[in-house]
Amino acid sequence: MLRFIVRRVLLMIPTLFIISALVYFIIDLPPGDCVTAQVDELLSRGDADALARADELRTLYGLDQPLWRRYFEWVGGIFRWDFGLSCQDTVPVSDLIGERMALTLIMESCTIAFIWIVSFVIGVYAATHQYKMGDYIASFIGFVGLSIPNFLLALVLLYVGKVYFGLSIGGLMDPEYIDKPFSWGKLVSVAEHLIIPVIVIGMSGTAGMIRRLRANLLDELQKQYVVTGRAKGLPPMKLLIKYPLRHAINPFVADIGGLLPDVISGSVIVSVVLSLPTTGPMLLGALKTQDVNLAATFLLFVAVLTVIGMLISDLALAALDPRIRFGATSEK
Amino acid sequence: MSSAELRYPRQTLWADYLRATAGVLLCGAPLLLLDVNRWLAYCLAAGLVLFALFLVRTALRHQTRYVLGPDTLCADGPAGTLVEWGRLDRLKLSYFSTKRDRSDGWMQLSVGSTGGRLLKVDSSLDGFHDIVERAASAADAGGVGLSDATRANLRAMGVSVAGQEELA
Repeated sequence: MLRFIVRRVLLMIPTLFIISALVYFIIDLPPGDCVTAQVDELLSRGDADALARADELRTLYGLDQPLWRRYFEWVGGIFRWDFGLSCQDTVPVSDLIGERMALTLIMESCTIAFIWIVSFVIGVYAATHQYKMGDYIASFIGFVGLSIPNFLLALVLLYVGKVYFGLSIGGLMDPEYIDKPFSWGKLVSVAEHLIIPVIVIGMSGTAGMIRRLRANLLDELQKQYVVTGRAKGLPPMKLLIKYPLRHAINPFVADIGGLLPDVISGSVIVSVVLSLPTTGPMLLGALKTQDVNLAATFLLFVAVLTVIGMLISDLALAALDPRIRFGATSEK
Repeated sequence: MSSAELRYPRQTLWADYLRATAGVLLCGAPLLLLDVNRWLAYCLAAGLVLFALFLVRTALRHQTRYVLGPDTLCADGPAGTLVEWGRLDRLKLSYFSTKRDRSDGWMQLSVGSTGGRLLKVDSSLDGFHDIVERAASAADAGGVGLSDATRANLRAMGVSVAGQEELA
């Protein structure tokens, strides 16, 4: 197992390096740069010195240097937690991402926990109660979750909350806690505001997981060894947990790594719709204005979380069932 | 039955040395040469410890030869131990795979005799199958309790022990 972990961790380093390079160069590919938009704005206001200031700004942001040099300076800065300057407010990226990154991590962690818990319970129930009312309801939830885009669900909930219940669903905390230090009241406020975003963002992931778990468990429950165990009088719960469930959750565990980038990318538009102070809206803005340092930093964090998620999922998969499956081959 | 001397393949060991050294350099160099942020330094230090441990384990494997005899399995090396087949009280054969279809995995055998340390060997060891066969027959003779997973893995390797028919 140690060799496997070492191989994977070692592979992570060039993987992240390549991802960071690709992201940095691709964001910079379109014509123009982050100063172009600022200059256009200044010109539209009638600022005669706009073009002269453009050169100053380009020097300030390092845009007068070749792309490869900017990239290596950015990569070198990562070790010092210095991701360069953001073009949006001319402040260091590390100052911009602090609380937003923390709120994003809290929201995404809650969403993933929601997806696992809800889909596990409903998926197992649906498989063990096939063609009963509960199974039909679970299937309905699955189809609804898969077919409705997250942002549309967010819009519907915003409308319903405002018009029928007089509630303001947007934001991730009550206005009095914004930009205030951490407190118990702020935590409670964040927890209350998390419920709707977590359900909205987690809906499609939950639906997909329910359907996968149900299908896998149904396959296992129809196998001979389960029928034999049932015929020999094994208690139903013991029979379910001991083998079929362990086999059925293999793909469930394997999906952990893929879930994280899905949830993060799925939450961007929802965060914009629900006015959530997470990284989503800021990333969207950074991509639109070609704020390379800010956008590349966000995307690098997503890549780091993804490769760590993949490693955890592979380790969990290896530890889940220490038996060889017939037909499988072990390496020498 | 005569004794057989078994070792991990040289090619595997050198590949592991290469990986461990590359890891130690990649994690250690920034810590030594750059002004690293405190939290990132913790992450790099954790990586450094991981690769250093792997380097030590590879060196131990390199220095160890396993002698499989009719009565004992001896790990002769810096952290050596001896397993007496007649006093075997622990046997566990695990299979690890990181793929959904459970293919391309590896086996790990853990054996220990009364009062002795646990000896773990991987399926990359030359003669792994012979050790498993000998351990299984010793477990059979000594009435050592085996888990369902161990029985299933033994059966998959073509090694028979009492009670396997229940799993069939």
